[in-house]
Amino acid sequence: MARMLLGIALTASALLVVTVPQSSQLHASIAPVLEDAPEDPALLPGLQDRYTHLSRKLSQLAPRQAYILVDTARNHLYVKRNGQILLDAIASTGSGTILDKPGESQDQWIFDTPRGEFVVQSKLTNPVWMKPDWAFIEEGLAVPRNPADRVEPGVLGEYALGFGKGYFIHGTLYPRLLGKSVTHGCIRLNDDDLKRVYQLARVGTPILIF
Amino acid sequence: MHLCALLALILLVSPAPGQGADSDAFPDIEKHSVADLQEATRVLEEEVKLAGRSQAYLRVDLVARAIEIKARGVTLHRLPLSEWTASAIEQMGKTFRLNVRPAVVRRKIDPSSTAEQEPIALTDMPTQYTLSFTPALRVEIGPDSQDGALRWARWYGARWWRKLEWWAGSIVSWQPAPIEPSLELILSVEQAQSLAWSLVDGMALVVRRPTDK
Repeated sequence: MARMLLGIALTASALLVVTVPQSSQLHASIAPVLEDAPEDPALLPGLQDRYTHLSRKLSQLAPRQAYILVDTARNHLYVKRNGQILLDAIASTGSGTILDKPGESQDQWIFDTPRGEFVVQSKLTNPVWMKPDWAFIEEGLAVPRNPADRVEPGVLGEYALGFGKGYFIHGTLYPRLLGKSVTHGCIRLNDDDLKRVYQLARVGTPILIF
Repeated sequence: MHLCALLALILLVSPAPGQGADSDAFPDIEKHSVADLQEATRVLEEEVKLAGRSQAYLRVDLVARAIEIKARGVTLHRLPLSEWTASAIEQMGKTFRLNVRPAVVRRKIDPSSTAEQEPIALTDMPTQYTLSFTPALRVEIGPDSQDGALRWARWYGARWWRKLEWWAGSIVSWQPAPIEPSLELILSVEQAQSLAWSLVDGMALVVRRPTDK
């Protein structure tokens, strides 16, 4: 209680004192720096070599070949090589919505595009979509027992690049939704961009998603 | 024959892609400063470990005033900092792990509804939030004053309240409360939301600290 009263009193007094800083102060960092340590010039050559070695080592960890970069916040897909952009495409990524799984369990599907590093695991032409359970449940339909009832050709476009756990880069029947987060986790592109990604990527091409 | 040997020599000597002139990790570094180099090599040692893994990580560069979302050592996205402050900065020389990403209200799909479900958008992300890391590090993300006076005033009010609580605690206990490492990072609204969107539970963070006096 005493602490709270003291806090209130101090707040009131501080509010009287605190004024809006000048714009120059706003952008100036209050910069506590590292402890003062005596600088030994003899250390310099070794440190310079170590710095160069580590810089090079870090740059060598970057993908050597073309790689796919997906910005889920802005719904963009890039293909890059050695810092150069080979393709800049508007995409659609995961909607972030949730869907309850049927039954008594509290399980849910979360429709996010996974983040992190992946690789192209498969390249398909004229892919056929095998509708998963959630696609039926989302539409209020019963999940079919016959696998043939799940087959839906023509909705994924002419190509698909799989990157694991059922996630694909594929085409769309709804190009007007490109640029929005509307998918169930897959990455959608228009026909031309999809074809270009298919041509540029190989099985093993890294995919970086953030 | 001589021409072939010469070509082979050139190929051997020339840097591979990703090497050479562009492999300077910190273009702004003072290469004649022992302290600068010590800090840069420390950060690079941490980064080399992180870049070998399949997750993205954050590099908060207080010298270049930017947060970088990185993977494989490549900068995926760069968020400029308007301002920053730090407490117990000497304790930030390690890799930290994000405990939990900022909470997001997700919309639930109603199969019985014919209305189109609204997806999550970048604008749904918070503009000011606290991130807790392990080992102990608190990162406060706040709004730029140019992004609205009310938002900025709320942020500064909360900031002063935290300081008052700390002072009050010190006065009540008659000894200074321990100062835990913390960073206050001021970003534009869009950049703060962009950062919140890109965070993942367990994401690693390294801090490059200034060494100039």
